[in-house]
Amino acid sequence: MECRVLSIQSHVVRGYVGNKSATFPLQVLGFEVDSINSVQFSNHTGYAHWKGQVLTAEELNELYEGIKLNKVNRYNYILTGYSRDTSFLEMVVDIIQELKKANPSLVYVCDPVMGDHGSMYVPEYLLPVYRDKVVPLADILTPNQFEAELLTGRKITTEEDAVEVMDLLHKMGPETVVLTSTDLPSKRGDQFLVALGSQNIVKADGTKTSQKICMDIPKVDAVFVGTGDLFAAMLLAWTHHHPKDLKVSGTLHHLIQKLMKSEMAGPGKRPSPAQLELRMVQSKADIEKPAVVVEAQVLQKYSR
Amino acid sequence: MECRVLSIQSHVVRGYVGNKSATFPLQVLGFEVDSINSVQFSNHTGYAHWKGQVLTAEELNELYEGIKLNKVNRYNYILTGYSRDTSFLEMVVDIIQELKKANPSLVYVCDPVMGDHGSMYVPEYLLPVYRDKVVPLADILTPNQFEAELLTGRKITTEEDAVEVMDLLHKMGPETVVLTSTDLPSKRGDQFLVALGSQNIVKADGTKTSQKICMDIPKVDAVFVGTGDLFAAMLLAWTHHHPKDLKAACEKTVSVMHHVIKRTMTYANEMAGPGKRPSPAQLELRMVQSKADIEKPAVVVEAQVLQKYSR
Repeated sequence: MECRVLSIQSHVVRGYVGNKSATFPLQVLGFEVDSINSVQFSNHTGYAHWKGQVLTAEELNELYEGIKLNKVNRYNYILTGYSRDTSFLEMVVDIIQELKKANPSLVYVCDPVMGDHGSMYVPEYLLPVYRDKVVPLADILTPNQFEAELLTGRKITTEEDAVEVMDLLHKMGPETVVLTSTDLPSKRGDQFLVALGSQNIVKADGTKTSQKICMDIPKVDAVFVGTGDLFAAMLLAWTHHHPKDLKVSGTLHHLIQKLMKSEMAGPGKRPSPAQLELRMVQSKADIEKPAVVVEAQVLQKYSR
Repeated sequence: MECRVLSIQSHVVRGYVGNKSATFPLQVLGFEVDSINSVQFSNHTGYAHWKGQVLTAEELNELYEGIKLNKVNRYNYILTGYSRDTSFLEMVVDIIQELKKANPSLVYVCDPVMGDHGSMYVPEYLLPVYRDKVVPLADILTPNQFEAELLTGRKITTEEDAVEVMDLLHKMGPETVVLTSTDLPSKRGDQFLVALGSQNIVKADGTKTSQKICMDIPKVDAVFVGTGDLFAAMLLAWTHHHPKDLKAACEKTVSVMHHVIKRTMTYANEMAGPGKRPSPAQLELRMVQSKADIEKPAVVVEAQVLQKYSR
């Protein structure tokens, strides 16, 4: 398999977020990963302390220039995640536009990281950049409910709302949209959260179809960081192998389960951010061959 | 296996040198790798073009401070490679000294990258820093012949010279020394190069022994970049599994190198086409494709114990 990904995300010395979270799993699955580190921090910002440096838009451009001068600016996939800087994000947009010209079949997997549970954790002025410049370039989009609501200006309170919002997002750009988590009530009870997905496909005979799916995912009683980045990377990998079948692997669930089993904090104690780092290296076998533990249901009434 | 490595090396967006070369193989073998990127370049400097930014000694210290403030500055191994900057290297020394205080059983694997085939490709003033400050802290050292000569001030023209130089290096600090390549003639002919190793061990009963080994390694007709970084990382991994058996550790390490290089040569020649020399881009190590060989290297190179020098 000769497949090259350009991933533009954070680097942390210790732990698994951003490029640290995305790179190893993709490499284990045989992808060549070129990684531009948008920042270098000691660790993610959920720890008591963090220190480090950020890459400017000019420095990002410089790195891209190097790749371009060597005539190796050809990628099958681009992957982006968390960003705090409009000028940086706009430089990313320019780069993606150029890469898409160089390879029109390039797939841009975009996690529009802006916030969760009703509040933004990036500057507000990033929203118009995502909405008007980034999302239109995306082929696969992985917003959570809050980010999907921000991008479309529509609230989601029912499954029908979620489906409408995903269709609005399709109109904005991406043919594949996954709502990675929502507040919608799960048929399986309150220990589960609902995720949904939608994929527009053009069949061989030219007719258009749409597949809508939904999943009930077991909730976990802990705050993990980096799981969204891992999710986007794994979605890239599995949609590469199943381009017309929105199958979302149970890898993520497995990894979290594995961590919960490691009794690092001790009985009765809440694990620290250091102890909650994903057991990435230890989960290699699960990354290579994830046992599907979460089944997605096709929502027939919305699929065409 | 709960084993954490701090690796302070270069990062390239594309290709496999420095941390890009060391991290994936170590992770595949189950090591936790914390990586501080000393530079971020588009690609290695053997391409026609390269662009990027370097980390200053202050920025390195800042990153270490973050780790320290969170009280997670505890490592089993440190790994360092190519550096061009004295102040950066001196900050690395300070950090290692502190980490060794935090964990006295920490193992520092040091590749004293300075040059090859008789010429230096880092600034000359790095030599005294390596010789006087870095090498004394090292537990495992992987110089090539030229670097070993620079560090000891002694030329190597015979096997006896090589053994003497390795013993001099032991006296300077590291208990394990591997001369990763030499110009010494191989008994197997001129398609092979000679590598040597020496390990001082203290046995359970307190007596000291020394194992000296040598290997004949098939030469390849291409210039690879990043192979030394891969070598040091894999030597870390295999000495971890064979801490008192340098022969076994080196056989596995050199075998991994062989498989990766062979796969890379095949690919590079295919990409270049018949009669054409592959480009630096085509010669990038086929790292991801070599996962199985990294996990379980078939041993294809045998090391011989040099009985007359071993005690």
